[in-house]
This record gives sequence, structure tokens and C-alpha cells, in this order.
Amino acid sequence: MIPRRVAVTGLGVVSPLGNSIEALTRSLAEGRSGVRRLAPSLCDRLRSPIGAPADFDGAAIFEPARVRQLDRVTQLALAAAGQAVLDARLDWSTERLERCGTFVGSGMGGAETTDAGYRTIYAEASDRVNPYTVLAAMTTAPASWISIEYGLLGASLTYSTACSSSSVAIGEAARRIQSDDLDVMIAGGAEAPLAFGVLRAWEAMRTLAAEDALDPSASCRPFSLNRSGLVLGEGAAFVVLEEWQHAVNRGASIHAELSGYGLTSDASHITRPSVQGQARAMQAALASAGVEPGRIGYINAHGSATQQNDATETSAIKQVFGERAYSIPVSSTKSTHGHLLGAAGALEFVIAVICLERRMVPPTMHLDIPDPVCDLDYVAGAARHGIELEAVMSNSFAFGGTNAVLIAESASREPGRRA
Amino acid sequence: MSTLDTLQDILVRDYGLPRERLSADARLDTLGMDSLSLLELMFKIEDGFHVKIPGDPPTGLRTVQDVVAYIDGLIADRSVQAAAGVAQSGAKM
Repeated sequence: MIPRRVAVTGLGVVSPLGNSIEALTRSLAEGRSGVRRLAPSLCDRLRSPIGAPADFDGAAIFEPARVRQLDRVTQLALAAAGQAVLDARLDWSTERLERCGTFVGSGMGGAETTDAGYRTIYAEASDRVNPYTVLAAMTTAPASWISIEYGLLGASLTYSTACSSSSVAIGEAARRIQSDDLDVMIAGGAEAPLAFGVLRAWEAMRTLAAEDALDPSASCRPFSLNRSGLVLGEGAAFVVLEEWQHAVNRGASIHAELSGYGLTSDASHITRPSVQGQARAMQAALASAGVEPGRIGYINAHGSATQQNDATETSAIKQVFGERAYSIPVSSTKSTHGHLLGAAGALEFVIAVICLERRMVPPTMHLDIPDPVCDLDYVAGAARHGIELEAVMSNSFAFGGTNAVLIAESASREPGRRA
Repeated sequence: MSTLDTLQDILVRDYGLPRERLSADARLDTLGMDSLSLLELMFKIEDGFHVKIPGDPPTGLRTVQDVVAYIDGLIADRSVQAAAGVAQSGAKM
């Protein structure tokens, strides 16, 4: 059976680089960084008090009675999903809602709520735990609230595979459409990890970047010899995915075709990435898309700026693409939006789709000192425009070893080619 | 300041509700106050009225006036306990 095709018809973001697709696109084109010093209250006890916050106030959007029930992660998710739905111009009253669903990726769920609950119990030695704690903190809350918001009666699932969570959510959503289980999916990810307990835990692992003394916004340096780790960021990104003919029939504007999804496990080490695991995920994505490696015109790298990942990912790209690896623009936009953990894959897939549509390739910023081990074209320092792209790849790798790779193809190409 | 006034202050400040909707006969469900937000409100009542809610929070509160009556009951109990000289040792667990 020929799998059904999947159209991307809606995009939405709340991110350190802006809270709309237009704002995000501008930031990417300018190489503007959303990394900054965090609030003074967090600085005292952190060695590296930097992060990439989203300029987002849920209280300005949601009714007071509602906002108190929602952790920041769900507020971000609802806002970004809302943009994607609006962009897709879906009319739910004409949809078969049992054929519509939502898949969401999140690594840490309602981390701020958990943090606040423990503060109440242990720091304040109080038993007055907020009655909403469980409902706000549960990892599945964003997906549940999205399904409630739009009345989606099909599957509502949460994927938690650390830093690849939302790439998995989008890829699995596409598969449900391909397999004729569902027709319309709201898929993406959300993360709100800028709570003290979370920051301190990540810092304890020695994986966070040192603060750049002169310019905190330049602290995240993927592929650079002096890279020192990742910078945590918050936000949410969502896409609306539809069965291709469903989108065509309702006259939807199609951003791209989601044609490839590769999913592998390293099965080797809890943190250390594997060249083989990453390469197999890219190959699986290419195979599922039926795309020759030569047609990939841009790779949005996982590029977390850890010593291990960037060298491993570079080797894996070379293994998959051979000599051509050197001529493919590969960038890590984490240099400016930070690492959104469970939301990272969705944000970066959205960025890859923007690249296809706008013929633009965003830069890897702060790559001032090349690492001899990282010797690909990382689009250092400035965006490139007027690049004709047929197909783009977005890589997401994770602690735990779940590798997910997505491929999007231009919607303007000859229809029906893959059939 | 009456119990109703103080309760209205809490509902305006912490729940973002407009004061004009907080008449004594206003129904809690139409104000968006579900069972969990009522549990949360109990913490705020303890602080705002310097009372201690004994054991499980009450059920059957349907209107703003029901909450006012419940608070007035707690205040009366507190007075009785104070008179009996057991207020703090009895209330603090």
C-alpha cells in the first residue's frame, strides 16, 4: 500500500526568537540571539546564569481562572498550537473530529509547578500544596488541553524522549496520517525548563555553557572549538499536519510536504551519542521519504554545542552524505534560540520549513574558532538568502539515545512525484 | 470591613474576578470556581481571616454567601476556642 502523503498546513511558535513565524524568521535572518542573563533571583546560585527565555506572559492571554490551572509549559503549548491552527485556517465544524488528534513532545512537563510544589513542601516546610499541582505538572497536560481546546476526539498522545521528544511527536503524527488512522494532527512540543531546580540539575551535569563574559548572548557556540555546552531555552512550536488530498480539497495553503521520518536508538550509552545511531536515523528518514541524499539542500543540525554531540553529528553526516556532506549547509540554530529540550525538534522542524519556503538558510552564530573535528559548512555568522531548496532535514538527538530525523520537501515541486 | 468585603478582595486580587460580579448570591460555578479552586481558596481564607480550617474542607458551598457564612463560622469557633484558652495549641498541628 502506498502511504498517504502528509501536508504541513499550519505553523506556530512561541520562542526565544519571537512569538510568531514572522518574528522568528526575522531573528533567524539577522542572527539575533535570544540567549541572555536570567533574572537576578536566579543568578546568585547558578555558576552560569544564562538561558533563552520566551517573552511570554500567560496571564495576559488566558482568563485568571484558567491560567492558575496551567503550568507555563501548557500556556506556551496552547499559544503556539493556536497560531498553527489559525495559520492552517481549519474549520473544525466541518472536520470529522474523531479523525483529528494531537501529539505533543515534552521532556520535563510542568517543571515550574513541580519546582514550586517542592519549594512549598521542603523549603517552606508547609503542607499547603497547590491543589492543581498534579494536573498542572503532569507531562501529558499540554496534549490534553490542546485536545480539549479544539475538541479533537482522535488520539491525544505525549512523547517524552528527552531532546528528541517533539520530533518524535511530529514524526509519529505523520505516520498516523500516512497509515490512514487519522487525517488532521496538531503536532509539536513545549518546554518550560527555566525554573531554579531544573537549571541547577542541568548545571550539576556540567553540560551547560559557561557564560560569555563580554556578551552573554554569545554563550552558545555549536561546532566551535571553544564550545562549552548547551544553553537551556523555553518555548513551544507546533505544526498542523494533514493528509495531502484533505488539504488540497479544502483549498489549504501548503507550506511543505513532511515526507521523511527516521527513528533509531543508540542502545549504547545514556548520554554519549553514537555516530551509528545518528547516521542510521538520517538514512531511515531518507529511505522513508524516497529522497536521494543529493537532494537534501539544508540540514538543521541537532548541534547542541556539547563537545560530544557536535563531533559525533559531524561524523554521522559525513557517513550518510559522503563527499557531498562538505557542500550541504548545516546550521545549529540552537546558537541563538538555545536548547528547548522536548520542544527543540519541533522548533527546528518549523525553522526547516521556513527555510524551504523563504529560500533562506539561517546561520550558526558564535562560531568564531573552527574545531578541526567539525569541518562542514556550518553557515557561520550570517544567513544566506536566495538558496533554492528542494528538501531539508532536521536532526534531533537525545540523552537516552532516541534519535529522530524529519525531512520536509518543497510543496511547490511537481505533485505526485513520490506516488 | 465585613467578611464579604474581605472575601471580595481576595477573589479580585488572586482570581482576577471583577468585584461587580461578586454579589452575595453569585454562584461560584458561574464565576469559574471549580472544586479545586475552592480547595485553593481555603488556603487564602486561612491567611486572610487568620483562621484554621479543621480537617477536610467543606462541601456544598455554592454561592459567595455560602463561603461568607462558612468563614463567619470559623471566626466564631476561633473566638470560642480563644475564650477556652486552647486557641493556638489546639489549632496548630
